[in-house]
Amino acid sequence: MSSILRLENLSVSFQTPRGSLAAVRDVSFELNEGESLGVVGESGSGKTVLSRATMGLLPGTATRTGKVSFLDKDISAMPRNEVRDLWGTGMAMIFQDPMTALNPVRRIGDQLMESLRVRLSMPKKEAKAKAIELLKRVRIPDPEGILRKYPYQLSGGMRQRIMIAIAVSCEPKMLFADEPTTALDVTVQAQVLELLSELRREFNMAMILVTHDLGVVAGHTDKIAVMYAGDVVEFAPTRQLFKNMKMPYTEALLKSIPRLETPTGTRLPVIEGRMPDPTKDEPGCPFASRCAYVTDKCRAEKPPLIDNNDGHFYRCWFPIGGEK
Amino acid sequence: MKTTRKRPIGFYIAGSWLSLIVFFSIFGKLLPLPTWDASDYEALGLKPFSSGHLLGTTMDGYDMFSGLVNGSRISVFVSVISVGLGGAIGAIIGISSAYYRGRYDKFVVLLFNVMLSIPNLVLSLALISTFASDTQDANASTLRRVVVLIVSLTIVIIPLVGRIARASTMQWTSREFVIASKSMGTENRMIIRRHILPNVAPAMLAIAFLAIGSVIIVEGSLALLGIGIPGGASWGSMLAAGRLNLEFSAHEVYLPALAIAFTVISTNWFGDYVRNSLDKREAKI
Repeated sequence: MSSILRLENLSVSFQTPRGSLAAVRDVSFELNEGESLGVVGESGSGKTVLSRATMGLLPGTATRTGKVSFLDKDISAMPRNEVRDLWGTGMAMIFQDPMTALNPVRRIGDQLMESLRVRLSMPKKEAKAKAIELLKRVRIPDPEGILRKYPYQLSGGMRQRIMIAIAVSCEPKMLFADEPTTALDVTVQAQVLELLSELRREFNMAMILVTHDLGVVAGHTDKIAVMYAGDVVEFAPTRQLFKNMKMPYTEALLKSIPRLETPTGTRLPVIEGRMPDPTKDEPGCPFASRCAYVTDKCRAEKPPLIDNNDGHFYRCWFPIGGEK
Repeated sequence: MKTTRKRPIGFYIAGSWLSLIVFFSIFGKLLPLPTWDASDYEALGLKPFSSGHLLGTTMDGYDMFSGLVNGSRISVFVSVISVGLGGAIGAIIGISSAYYRGRYDKFVVLLFNVMLSIPNLVLSLALISTFASDTQDANASTLRRVVVLIVSLTIVIIPLVGRIARASTMQWTSREFVIASKSMGTENRMIIRRHILPNVAPAMLAIAFLAIGSVIIVEGSLALLGIGIPGGASWGSMLAAGRLNLEFSAHEVYLPALAIAFTVISTNWFGDYVRNSLDKREAKI
């Protein structure tokens, strides 16, 4: 298997009135063709910024440092119009909110056929046939009728499927799914995730699935990166992570998922406290103030990313399962 | 599933008045009316509703109704051309500056502010008296007057529409569907044409209707100041000519004034209607 995406020391910061805000700090990892990576973390941990920075879709107020290689080409050094040639055909993105990611005043058909006609220069008839085929593939009933509809006439689940159809329309090698199921209800979530996995197998696409729900990534990814306050704090193959997690933060995340077994009336476990202020660079582990196993060393010194020599990385002085 | 919303009565009144004006301005010349610039010496200063002259005549024997019909042509021509031209230029500048941002945007904002700080009447006055004023030897031609008038009004309209286009574009550019389209590799120009323009257009349409109203007023004011379109050809110049005879035949003044008032009220009302239905649409999205 060859590498499709390699990040080396990727950092992103935003210029704000309160100073420089570090949204992503020094992230490195590699993803192989056809593989899927789950990026998990709470709100504000930098997961969305990470995926947008990888594609190069950041607003003008952001500064990106580090190297992004896509198919062994350094795209972080490429001129903008060459990167744009990769968008859609090389890598594509599914957005969080299907309610806002479709243009309200244009028909579904026009929006779906846009990239086919512009990027693949298909004639109109062919593009229409392909659009219908795509809609069938994402299991939308009556595709011909849907092409003529406007976004407001469709349900959230259908719109998200259309977003997926648009994203895969040019058969990208790499798909970024930015919380694709957050705006959907639970039953539709499962269908959409299943659909994504299926399309991924079919097109041999690599995927980065961004979510705040560990349960979502469990069945649909090969590797997981857990993010906290801009850092990747744990990186491991999915099985390994669930079997043998090292980071207290990952454990806390997992514990805060509500379970059916818990008797009614019990309070849901939460991770107390808040993330540190991203505009300040304080010493010590960023998770120290909320960690159940915190020691003086944690407060004084930030742990490096430690390699466990089996594809498992973690950023903790006293990992779970290790000697205390 | 189209829902038909009941339109308010004002919509129909304003709509009928505006269609009437547009009809007169296009087909006015074909109507069986007395010539507007030929005097009828047997009917000087007739009151409205006299036989042969529906709205009476001026003290000099010019037919009021044909004068108004002819004036509508000039008014519609001047306002539509200047608003269309100014609106198009303003839209291009406003949308592109909001989309590309950066130094270009800062310059455009400065430019708009400077342009808006010049009173429009003073600007038109200056331009017309410089480029199209009567000299001792010859009177400036009507065509020259009209062209300079249109140019000066266009300059006034550009920042008016441009600012609205810029504000509206900023709001739409940060929407996810624009980023989504960008993430598929669509070129900026295509994004502007397909995603920004259709969303910005209604706001610009609303402001354009208001602008037509103010252009008609400005044209009237200039005529009253004596530098409008000469020869009583527009509503404003009819008013300017008629004001000398105010005590003998008041209808020479109030008829063109009413025509201006109705038209301006109608365009303002239409602009408001467009804006309101736009707000309702926004609320649904």
